[in-house]
Amino acid sequence: MADITSILPYYIISGLLVGSIYGLATIGLTLIFGVLRVVNVGHGAYIMIGMYVTFWLFTLYSLNPFITLIPAFLVGLALGMLLFYVALKRLLRAPELSTLISTFGFGVILEELAKVLWGADYRGFVYSLGSLYLQGIPLPLVRVWPAVIALGLVIALYVLLYRTRLGVAVRAVTQDPEGAMVCGVDVERVYFLTVALGIGLTTASGALLAIYFQQGIYPYIGHLYTLRAFVIAVLGGLGSPIGAFIGGLIVGVIEQASVPLFTMLGAPNPFGLSVFLTFTLILVILLLRPQGLLGR
Amino acid sequence: MTLSRTHILALLTLYAILLGLRILVEVVGPLGPITGQLLTLLAFYIALGQAFNIFLGMTGYVDFGYVAFMALGMYGMASGVVRAYEAGLTGYYGIVFGLIQTITLTSLLALMVGGIALRLRGAYFAIATISVNEGLRYLVEGLDIWEGSRGLIVSGPLIRLFGSEGFSLLATIISDIMVFSVALLALVISIVFLNTRIGYALKAIREDEDAARVMGVNTTMYKVLAFTTSGILGGLLGAAWSFKVASIYPPDAFNILYTIEAIILVMLGGAGTLAGPIVSGTLYGSLKYFLAGILPGFQLLVFAPILVAVIVVAPEGIVGALRVYIPATRRFIA
Repeated sequence: MADITSILPYYIISGLLVGSIYGLATIGLTLIFGVLRVVNVGHGAYIMIGMYVTFWLFTLYSLNPFITLIPAFLVGLALGMLLFYVALKRLLRAPELSTLISTFGFGVILEELAKVLWGADYRGFVYSLGSLYLQGIPLPLVRVWPAVIALGLVIALYVLLYRTRLGVAVRAVTQDPEGAMVCGVDVERVYFLTVALGIGLTTASGALLAIYFQQGIYPYIGHLYTLRAFVIAVLGGLGSPIGAFIGGLIVGVIEQASVPLFTMLGAPNPFGLSVFLTFTLILVILLLRPQGLLGR
Repeated sequence: MTLSRTHILALLTLYAILLGLRILVEVVGPLGPITGQLLTLLAFYIALGQAFNIFLGMTGYVDFGYVAFMALGMYGMASGVVRAYEAGLTGYYGIVFGLIQTITLTSLLALMVGGIALRLRGAYFAIATISVNEGLRYLVEGLDIWEGSRGLIVSGPLIRLFGSEGFSLLATIISDIMVFSVALLALVISIVFLNTRIGYALKAIREDEDAARVMGVNTTMYKVLAFTTSGILGGLLGAAWSFKVASIYPPDAFNILYTIEAIILVMLGGAGTLAGPIVSGTLYGSLKYFLAGILPGFQLLVFAPILVAVIVVAPEGIVGALRVYIPATRRFIA
């Protein structure tokens, strides 16, 4: 076991880096749930779209992948608006079943469109910025910068929610939609902006994930991210954006650190077991603390 | 909805026509566009809808991990057959052993997941079920259960146990009849549920769970009952289907596509209606069959927008809408 203590810091650092992006990738889900009480079951599809935006703009036009963050965000905004008007607006008072299925259906449409337009092949690109050395541990800059940008976007969202009038309105609707309406908040506008912003952040996180991993982009890659986002959102408490970010960091570290641990224990497929561990977490948390680790 | 004798007779007639057609095609060959494969597909989708309807349709909870039950059924039956072959027993022991494994595994899963997750409401339940499905898949791959990601080969042992002629019968008409039986069993159970207090309890849960609980309905118990029944039927469907596949791989067996299809079938036909799965299964199965020739792989691109449209415009589905807009149909369509 002397082995693991020497390599563990590396896995913890890379877990925190990828976890920071996981956190951003979950904030859209949890924000939309907090405000509209709707779980976007097709969440991962928007991450997939963000990845493809970066992939295509970089491959076809050699655009700097970090610049593609802006078009990815804008595409997400547009998709969010579409999602709201097509699949959510009329269903806000309908039973929960309806929005679960309509958001799911919307996600399936995006995946099938991606498959028809771009094919089912795994795609990838190569983009490098060199490495940073932290006490001898090499950290590729294409993994450091996306994590830093994700953190920056989370801070920007925090400022938006807690320092602007729109943020006050969003938080008011989260706590009490009817009370907010009585106080003159245009609740439907808040719903609309939340979905647009939530999906925009999600596609932006897809762009960051594409820069981080660079390989294996395909139409159904979103499924794994939907599931991961669920674990993280439940861990942080559904509806809490800051909880989602911290949950992201935790899940990132667990995922990264459990792979070498399972390898050392001689598991036949350590990666599979590490994913299994993450999903078992959901049941354990739902059983013991359904309000999330940070919830009250 | 009270069920009359006319309702039940109409449903059984539809089933008899389909099963009769399947046997007729087996004896005299395809009747124009109606081939054995088409009827197999219809039977499969009707059974899938009918089995899933008992949970989704009657309780209003969405189980996004329904395919896990089918996967356990496929693995349960296939590993039973393979084990019987390796132990030198006859094929019939294998099938019986497979059925026992299927029922045990699916009821264990249903009781475990249901016991934990059904204490939670809609959104949390949906989240829990998606993770259970993926978690199981990665457990099978991670611990190398049932040959893990290398795949469990079924057709070899089956051919050696039943001979190549016996195997080809088993993979076609016999497994089709098993699929029909699962559909029929699901229908009969639905009728029994609807005609007893179970049906009232489930309906009360769907309409207003808090009110039902206040009135003294043991909501968790009835939800677990519907979940387990629906899950075991899904497992049996998977077991019947396992004779048709050469080998079973985790990504195929746990493919979320089957869950998507099950949701489409229930919602398109009309959640909680008995005739819904027959209508939507026939529609979906035929479209899939004929689209496969013209536009292979496009059926979800056609059906996903339809699903969203149904939820937004007519959440009561085809059969529900018929009953609302043409009241005369209420006498014989349930």
